[in-house]
Amino acid sequence: MRHLAKCALFASAVAFAPLAHADTADGESLIGKPWEEVVEMARGGTVNWFLWGGSDNINRYVSEYIGGILKDEYDITLNRVGLSDTVEAVNIVLGEVESGVTDKGSVDMIWINGENFRTMKQGDLAYCGYPDTLPNNKLVDWNNPSIANDFGVPVDGCEIPWSKAQFAFAYDTARTENPPRSIPELLEWIKANPGSFTYPAPPDFNGSVFVRHVFYHAAGGVDNLLGAFDQAKYDAAAAETWRILNEIEPYLWREGKTYPTSINALEQLFANSEVDLYFNYEPAGVGINIDNGTFPPTAKGYGLTDGTIGNTNYTIIPINSPNKAAALVLQNVLLSGEAQYEKAKPDVWGTSPAIEVSRTSDEVQKQFASLKKHPAVVPASELSKAALPELQADWITAIEKGWIENVGQ
Amino acid sequence: MSDRVKIVLLLAPAMIIIGVLFFGGLVIGLMRSFSYMPIIGLTEPNFDAYISIFTSREFYLSFLLTFYIAFVSTFISSVLAIGAALLLRRQFIGRAIVNFLFQLNLTVPHLVGAIGILYLFSQSGSFARLAAEWGMIARPSEFPALVFDPYAIGIILQYVWKEIPFIGVIVLANMQALGEDYESVARSLGANRWQAFIHVLLPLIFPGVLSASVIVFAFIFGAYEIPALLGANYPAALPVLAYRKYTDVDLAARPEAMAMAIVIALLSAVMIFLYVRYARRRVRS
Repeated sequence: MRHLAKCALFASAVAFAPLAHADTADGESLIGKPWEEVVEMARGGTVNWFLWGGSDNINRYVSEYIGGILKDEYDITLNRVGLSDTVEAVNIVLGEVESGVTDKGSVDMIWINGENFRTMKQGDLAYCGYPDTLPNNKLVDWNNPSIANDFGVPVDGCEIPWSKAQFAFAYDTARTENPPRSIPELLEWIKANPGSFTYPAPPDFNGSVFVRHVFYHAAGGVDNLLGAFDQAKYDAAAAETWRILNEIEPYLWREGKTYPTSINALEQLFANSEVDLYFNYEPAGVGINIDNGTFPPTAKGYGLTDGTIGNTNYTIIPINSPNKAAALVLQNVLLSGEAQYEKAKPDVWGTSPAIEVSRTSDEVQKQFASLKKHPAVVPASELSKAALPELQADWITAIEKGWIENVGQ
Repeated sequence: MSDRVKIVLLLAPAMIIIGVLFFGGLVIGLMRSFSYMPIIGLTEPNFDAYISIFTSREFYLSFLLTFYIAFVSTFISSVLAIGAALLLRRQFIGRAIVNFLFQLNLTVPHLVGAIGILYLFSQSGSFARLAAEWGMIARPSEFPALVFDPYAIGIILQYVWKEIPFIGVIVLANMQALGEDYESVARSLGANRWQAFIHVLLPLIFPGVLSASVIVFAFIFGAYEIPALLGANYPAALPVLAYRKYTDVDLAARPEAMAMAIVIALLSAVMIFLYVRYARRRVRS
């Protein structure tokens, strides 16, 4: 802010440099504009990016690496706002739009997917129709259904993919010899090892996806759950899911009398040997946690033989963002081969790119080919041999509500 | 300028802030709680949200838990604070240091205290590790559950630790202002120390204890962060439950969250009102 004021003073003093960062709330006028013009409009401005802030390495990548590029190349100030839950940012946009703030919103971009994306679409809170304006959009394979649909909801040009993730488990080789490698095995293992497993209570993101794995198992596979929400199918699979989860409850950590409420709490429990298994939608987390000393070096990630759920996550620009040009520049930087490669480095974040690496420059392709995997992290290529799709948002909401009513209480 | 105008002018800034921000927020919250949310097509105000929370078992459990936490924490803190103040008003060597240490944690934020409780009392915390070191327990799970537990022990510990000096400082100032003359008179008329305390000192400091504990009770009843960090996931304290409803992905749950927030505000107000009335009667008799 002070910096802005200085800029303004300087500019008006010099008087032949017009103020560059115009208010770019009018998204319609940006669509299809030559890219250089968009960059010019964004120059010297600020962009407020709201994203889940529960991971130090992600925060560092965003603030230092991405923020550095924006500052050095575009003179844009990146303001990273950490959240404990993405829905908080959605609430801010919703509250603003409700009270008539249509072009001076405080949120310029959100890291988002799934139900929150559905909410933004439901309330007409997303800026849409602009992806072709970004030069790096050509690196995205929009023909891939897992990119073009966010948890079964068509993206419709309302968000830009950022990363791909696939759920994986982890165990400590020093403590556990044979970890369970499928959901049926896990259920047996829990009974054989009382007190050494738990999962975060939904609606926690990771707890919710764990429950979905059990739900798929209870439904006899995911195939007949795809498509729009079906009450009859849901009821049958849900009844079996709650039966299974209530049956294992006495064998969980603290006899299932309470559940951790966040993935960070589960991380602590695993690090302190209170539980013996850990899981995360972001498999690279194990490597990061070993490197920063949270997990013992003997920890190791692995996938399941019956498959784990994968998804794509995105960035979205709220309809009332006043800095849409700067947000577009940020999205374009995030999509670039270089930024996607930096993010894929195991010591930075280790997450999978959402772009088609084959469409990037030869140099970037070489870099991706030479990526060293963290020895403790299960490679994405191995996980993707048994990948399960996400369900549509209505299913997920129903499962989360059902868990709270039938298991959590 | 007359005095009256002056007073009004001097009070204006504070009143404007309270009026606009606090009551403004309250009014918007009320509108929402009556399911008035044009953005998602709710334009007909109704009582659905209130009916829904008052017919849910979870709400009552959360209410009881919150009341229990606030009452037990306030009661224990008050008793221990009076005891501490009685000791601290005596002359002894090193009193200044003890007095300083006693008030030291007033400066520690609640959040930091909660993390401290977590590190000390969780099943993988310092005390559990000491117990394992001395062979008292073999596994973390054998250590008694003092955080995330159904009796909210960790939460109460944190509040007691934090509120004793708060109430204690008020009571101590009160005692020092009174001096010891009243008790001396009682003693010279044949009362023993206990009688002098119960019949003379306690009634005199009671109003101070009461106002301090009302503040503490209301604060604990509406506080979110400590139960969010140290509480079990079910039942959750009322403010935690309200926030969960507020961050539900389903926009239709927002009115319920607002209804809960309004209920918390009303209940706090009603309880304080009753408490003060009852206390006044006690003081008069």
